[in-house]
Amino acid sequence: MKKILVVDDEKNILKLYETELQEEGYSVFTANSGKEALEAFDKHSPDLVTLDILMPDIDGIQILRMLKEKNPQVPVIMLTAYDYRDDFSVWGSDAYVVKSSDLSSLKETIKTILEAR
Amino acid sequence: MEPLDPIDNNSEHLGFKQEGIAGDSRASSLFTSEASRFARSLFAAKSADQLFKAICEESSRILNSTGAALYITHGAELSLKYSHGNAAAFIGWDISSNASRALYENRAVTYSAPPGIDPGSLPLSAVSVPLSANGSVIGVITLFTKKAQDNSPAEFSSIDSILLSELGETSAAALSSRKECDCENAESAARDRAELLKGYLDSFLENTADAIVTTDLNGYVTSWNKGAEKIYGFDHNEVIGQHMPFVPEFLMDSEKTFIERVALGETLKGIETIRKKKDGSMIDVSLTLSPIKNSSSNVTGISGIARDITQKKKTEKNLLRRNSELSRILFISAAMRGTLELDKLLRMVLTAVTMGDGLGFNRAMLFLRDEKQNILKGAMGVGPASHEEAWEIWAKLSLEHKSLTSILNEMDKNPNKKESFVDMLCKGIEISLESDTILTRTVKKKKAYNVIDVQKESLSDLELIQQLGTTAYASVPLISRDKVIGVLWVDNLFTRRPITEQDIEFLRIFSNQMASAIENAQLFESINSTEQQLSNIFESISDLLFFTGTDYTINKVNKAVVNKIGMPEEEIVGKKCYQIFHGMQEPLMSCPHIKTLDQGKAFIEEVEDFHLGGAYIVSCSPLFDKSGALLGTVHIARDITEQKKLREKVANAERMAALGEIAAKVAHEIRNPLLSVGGFARRLEKRLNNDLKEYAKIIVEEVGRLEEILNDTLGFVRSSRLDIKKTDMDEFIDKIITLLESAAASKEDMLVKEINEKVILQADQNRLKEALINIINNAIQATKKGTIVIRALYENNPEGIREGIIEVEDCGAGIKPEDLNRIFDPFFTTRSSGTGLGLAITKKIIESHRGRIEVKSEMGKGTKFRIYLPAQEA
Repeated sequence: MKKILVVDDEKNILKLYETELQEEGYSVFTANSGKEALEAFDKHSPDLVTLDILMPDIDGIQILRMLKEKNPQVPVIMLTAYDYRDDFSVWGSDAYVVKSSDLSSLKETIKTILEAR
Repeated sequence: MEPLDPIDNNSEHLGFKQEGIAGDSRASSLFTSEASRFARSLFAAKSADQLFKAICEESSRILNSTGAALYITHGAELSLKYSHGNAAAFIGWDISSNASRALYENRAVTYSAPPGIDPGSLPLSAVSVPLSANGSVIGVITLFTKKAQDNSPAEFSSIDSILLSELGETSAAALSSRKECDCENAESAARDRAELLKGYLDSFLENTADAIVTTDLNGYVTSWNKGAEKIYGFDHNEVIGQHMPFVPEFLMDSEKTFIERVALGETLKGIETIRKKKDGSMIDVSLTLSPIKNSSSNVTGISGIARDITQKKKTEKNLLRRNSELSRILFISAAMRGTLELDKLLRMVLTAVTMGDGLGFNRAMLFLRDEKQNILKGAMGVGPASHEEAWEIWAKLSLEHKSLTSILNEMDKNPNKKESFVDMLCKGIEISLESDTILTRTVKKKKAYNVIDVQKESLSDLELIQQLGTTAYASVPLISRDKVIGVLWVDNLFTRRPITEQDIEFLRIFSNQMASAIENAQLFESINSTEQQLSNIFESISDLLFFTGTDYTINKVNKAVVNKIGMPEEEIVGKKCYQIFHGMQEPLMSCPHIKTLDQGKAFIEEVEDFHLGGAYIVSCSPLFDKSGALLGTVHIARDITEQKKLREKVANAERMAALGEIAAKVAHEIRNPLLSVGGFARRLEKRLNNDLKEYAKIIVEEVGRLEEILNDTLGFVRSSRLDIKKTDMDEFIDKIITLLESAAASKEDMLVKEINEKVILQADQNRLKEALINIINNAIQATKKGTIVIRALYENNPEGIREGIIEVEDCGAGIKPEDLNRIFDPFFTTRSSGTGLGLAITKKIIESHRGRIEVKSEMGKGTKFRIYLPAQEA
């Protein structure tokens, strides 16, 4: 069973993602701060991470960089309410999904990436 | 009976019987000696009153009249300065009749009383001649009642009027050389103007806030004004001869390109560039580079006028001041132009010296002093080359009986530019002032010399003896304001007539007359060339620049105005400025002009003009004369339409960006809770039945609607969220063609899809659609009745990596090569209606897809855009 780490500062959203992704057959871990995310990454060695860009303690882009330093092989999907910068490609994430209550786009992206491995 | 020949008829009155006046050289010299006596007595006069008296009495004596009166003009009035003999009885009549006619008709007028008037009164006859100096009439002299040899009353003949005219000329010269004579002294006025002009020029260069720097063609500084000192911080001595220390290293190459262009004669206006100050700091300047040309129109240097535009307001004020001075200089010197050309003046002087009618020397030369090289340099020579030529010329002149005045007038109309042999010899002569010869002594001692025999005089100028074959000569210094500016040299090689002390004295009188005139003319000549430079500057100012009088009449405009208005200068000058610039019949209330006229102060305002179209910064400053009276105004208008448009665009973009920030914040705050609501509602919808399922569905739909509104808001502010999806180009291009079909049809264009393999790209479909629509729209605009092909394909790049490509090719007008690398710049557009943002957005979209865009175009053939995107294997 593939392990997914979901990082978001909103507990409700974590709850929603956890439930929905478990139903897709993934093992889901959650973290609601940057610090927790780094700890969980070490502890659970996830196969994929979804990451909110705006995090209260550490900037999502910084977390992405730290995760990629730890293990560049683990794909990271950036999630956010909006994109206020132009060029996500420099951030080095593997994919980019706009947050929506309709999770089908996220699920499809996860599936595509994991299947490509 | 046939009338008698006037010359013979008159000879008896003159006392040189049976000899024509100018038909015979002896008669001529007799008159010359009378004339010389006349001149001596005039220049011996110690006061103005003595001079008036001498003129009247001497003329009266020479022409055998009973009385004489002398008038000086004041505007249109004649005011009596002196009268003697029987003149007193006739002054009233003379002023109202004879003298006035002489003044207005500017010629000699004679009068004889009709026969049969009261025999008791003295029969009246009179001759009046105008006195003119430097082309303007300064007075009139009238002689009354001619006496025959037996003292019986006689009449004045035409010869008398010719003789009196000659005397009158000498009188006029004497009068105008004396300030206290109260006549309008043309010469000194000219000198005053010249000095004023020079003063303006100096103060212009000194006071202007602009840096005026001249360099040679290699960029080495040759002059540096105070403005440059102020702006750049280097002082004069630090930069002269240096290689443009005010140009930053990194701009040196582009500066050299400028210099190369100016060296070819081009004037570069309004270059905005950067300059380095002495302390190393950088300033923004607006720069105009113009070629400096020598008299033969070769470019010998470059003048650069730089304006510090970091302090625009301050500089603008200075610009105003500079321009008010500039205008005065231009006006004055335009008025003077043509009045005193050095070359013509010299020729006149020498002709006067050599004409039999004048001083009667065989040959004359002028040497001018060159203080820089410390030499005397031959400026011009006049005289026959040989005995044969001498006799020929003199015979011809005496036959034609031309007076000096008429010859000078002729010269004025038809300047004889042919260089004579003597002239050529003269121009080759240079005598060092360090040597000790007669000529150099003439300069150093300010004395006239008469060399009676060159063999016996040890200081004789060898060069003159060798080249001119002179055996005896005289030299007289030309002294202007206590300084020797040159030497007048004469000899009588052909007649061998000894030069007498009388001759020398006469020459001295004459040379004093001409010295100041020559100096003026020299000054004018240098001013003329300076004026050319100034006018260069005036014309090269790219702002609209014009002067008006106090009644809004345009007096002068520069080239920029002519270009803007589209009418020749002659049609603009003389019109009211509000007619020309605003198309109105009365002054425009929003123009600072009214306030400047009203308050006599400078005003700067932004004026939106619908007649010319566009927005202008208009500065208007008053122009005063010496006494402080308002003469008119100077306007400088800078077209800021483009800047204003750009400013508005930028402001708009900034507003959008600010709006984007707000929208993004709101979106963030709302979207997360909305996501929870919508997400869980979806879960509920799955689990619930019947009505409840229906309610949950409503929640899901409404949340979806809200999310869409958020997306639209963010889309509006063009935040480039990307929603990357696998996109099949076949379908995708079909959709775009459907969207644009009607636009293409309006230009009778065909949109054609060309796909030979399945191409799938990773793209945000909406954004990529927007990007392609921008390109295809441009293609439709450029193409008429043509085909636009849209292709999708794969290609390996040079590194062997597979790339997806979308190609749009039209067969339209093409893009100019110079525009090609600007088409992706924001706000760049060649269409009048475009925002100039389309292709900029396209490029941004493609780059945010980690792709790139390229364009190739050929004028008249068409344009091809290629979009490269990372490939996604099918």
